[in-house]
Amino acid sequence: MKKNTLNIKAFSMQSVKFGTEYHLTKNSLEIPDHALFDLDDRLKEMTIKLVDPRDCHFEINTIMDVMPISTKVLGELGYGLTHTLTGVNVILTGADETGVQLHEFGSSDGYLDQKIMFGRDGTPDLDDVVILIDVVLKENFEFNRDTCEMVFRTADKFLQPIREELKMLMGRDATDDIEYVDTQNPGQPKVAVVKEVAGQGAMYDNIIFPKEPAGIEKGISIIDMDNMPVLLTANEYRDGAIHALV
Amino acid sequence: MGIGPSTKETTLHHFHDPLVREVSNDPDVDFLGVILVGTPQDNYLKNLVGKRVSVWLDAMRANGAIISADGWGNSDVDFINTMAEIGDKGISIVGLKFIGAQAGFVVENEYTKFVEDINKSPAGIETEVVGENNLDSKDAHKALGLLKLKMRHDGQVVH
Repeated sequence: MKKNTLNIKAFSMQSVKFGTEYHLTKNSLEIPDHALFDLDDRLKEMTIKLVDPRDCHFEINTIMDVMPISTKVLGELGYGLTHTLTGVNVILTGADETGVQLHEFGSSDGYLDQKIMFGRDGTPDLDDVVILIDVVLKENFEFNRDTCEMVFRTADKFLQPIREELKMLMGRDATDDIEYVDTQNPGQPKVAVVKEVAGQGAMYDNIIFPKEPAGIEKGISIIDMDNMPVLLTANEYRDGAIHALV
Repeated sequence: MGIGPSTKETTLHHFHDPLVREVSNDPDVDFLGVILVGTPQDNYLKNLVGKRVSVWLDAMRANGAIISADGWGNSDVDFINTMAEIGDKGISIVGLKFIGAQAGFVVENEYTKFVEDINKSPAGIETEVVGENNLDSKDAHKALGLLKLKMRHDGQVVH
């Protein structure tokens, strides 16, 4: 396995439905409509909806994150083989039971179709199915890093069984197969990208180097690194080295 | 101030990052990598992390860099300080940040004119619509073009 090459195989989901348990094939996904594990004591409930971006004029809590579903099959973050789902993305929203929204600066609660611009790099496409995970905390919760991370972790835990099945899909059934090579262009001007990201507290944080692409487990908060610079290759970056907690 | 809904970079945004996509695929530059740096609260640390970024770029023998931020307000201090630290090492630097009508720099210096505005909203404000004011491919392309001109203007020599 070449350490400078990342192979991403994408599986395009034609149908996403609710079922009694998780079931993934090369073109369809079934998920339960509730968590199959015990929720943290601080949580009142977590609800799951399947949403068509072309028909989503209903009220939501503030959008905490938009996430892809992707998993490592061979190698580690940045090289080897990654399987990813297209045609489906996840939106995480959150508030407490009295309506206090989980955000740092500015809330996006309101009607979903008015609060997100679909089709951008950071948002689902209009043709995608959106798995909308809404997490509601009990009132008088403590708004701190630990609480917010727990909310993100709960959503991640709900998605992990999809990743476990995604690892098992046959590579030859993939709809897209892209190889990214970290290339060098000797003799050309040497250029780097510097990305300044949030690192000050609750809902103003980023997790780096999760075990799964765009996951949470085993990731390290940039705050716990005292915001010190970290170097990533382009392939590590596009393999989901960062999970935003903003 | 901080990171509002319209400029916040979601996990999916990082996954598709347009800046990394544009710069890493350009055959006219030798792409070194992405330096990810946080925005501490403490002023001493703000200066320290900016300095560490510049030392790292210098050690990589970088000719140029593009810096981007997903927030504005207090993080502008980190942003401009890091630009100045990088510039002081003789490395060409350009920036990308939300400015619009409400997030101009409080203090300008020789580097602020090399910062491109990523605002997309007609009113130039934080609209609280997720994805609206995010950096996109066009912004990345413009910044890379500007950096190429700046490197030429600065007489950068490739080692």
